[in-house]
Amino acid sequence: MNTAPRRWRTSTVLLIECPWCGPRAETEFSYGGEAGIERPADPYALSDAEWADYLFFRRNPRGAHRELWNHAQGCRRWFGVERDTVSYRIEKSYRLSGAGSARPAAAHIEASEEKRR
Amino acid sequence: MSDNGLPLSGVAISVRSGRGFLNLRLNPHHGQAVETAERVLGQPIPQAANTFTNGGHEVYWLGPDEWLIANVAERAAALGSELAEALGGFHAAVNDVSGGNVELLVRGAEARAVLAKGCALDLHPREFAPGQCAQTGLGRAAVLLAAVDPSSYAIVVRRSFSDYVHRWLENAARPHRARFSAP
Repeated sequence: MNTAPRRWRTSTVLLIECPWCGPRAETEFSYGGEAGIERPADPYALSDAEWADYLFFRRNPRGAHRELWNHAQGCRRWFGVERDTVSYRIEKSYRLSGAGSARPAAAHIEASEEKRR
Repeated sequence: MSDNGLPLSGVAISVRSGRGFLNLRLNPHHGQAVETAERVLGQPIPQAANTFTNGGHEVYWLGPDEWLIANVAERAAALGSELAEALGGFHAAVNDVSGGNVELLVRGAEARAVLAKGCALDLHPREFAPGQCAQTGLGRAAVLLAAVDPSSYAIVVRRSFSDYVHRWLENAARPHRARFSAP
């Protein structure tokens, strides 16, 4: 059995592309959870289970994930990120509203979400 | 010593006292509001991310609809009321944040080497040229870092973090023949 202390790789930094400031170190950002969760138009029409699902339950997928990040130490704006939860590869980041925002072309995410349902 | 009083080697760290700061929020796509603010300021508001303009005041880009205006305290205070009055009819906000911020200067041939010890940005002038600024982390604090010229940087930091940042700089600058002084 290998009892040597585990060597952490310290030379790599996860860079996240802020849609305004460009690529910055991950330490400047804070994570905001899954993106694209829409508040139900009529909460009173929901059952308790559906309401709890909206409030508490997140998909937590293995693979492509659409999520929110805040550039906390930078411009302090929220933006969207498409990240692979296995490889940490960030496919794209995008503005949520205003000039330059566009609904992300996330067909592969839609497809994988559809499959899981 | 060089002509401008900077050490040719090493690094000099100083607190710029008597500075005033205004936080300006307005919609950058509202041409009339931007024009009004620029007329009162007498200089352009930087629209490009992470840049600042210097034309009497320093105007730093903080976000797509947010800027920090710096000057000596008296002029900043006067400008604050002028701006607030001129922008009264627009969806805009001017706040005097002088009490909450401290400006530090790090100057000298080794200023970049000192800052690089605690900052994840590439500070080489080809990436972070004079006229650029960035809100980023220095040590464990969030700061606004601005490249004034290739060998001097201004740091605007929350007052409550300024003692920490100053001590952090002292420690980082120790192997670089540091000088500490009033500006």
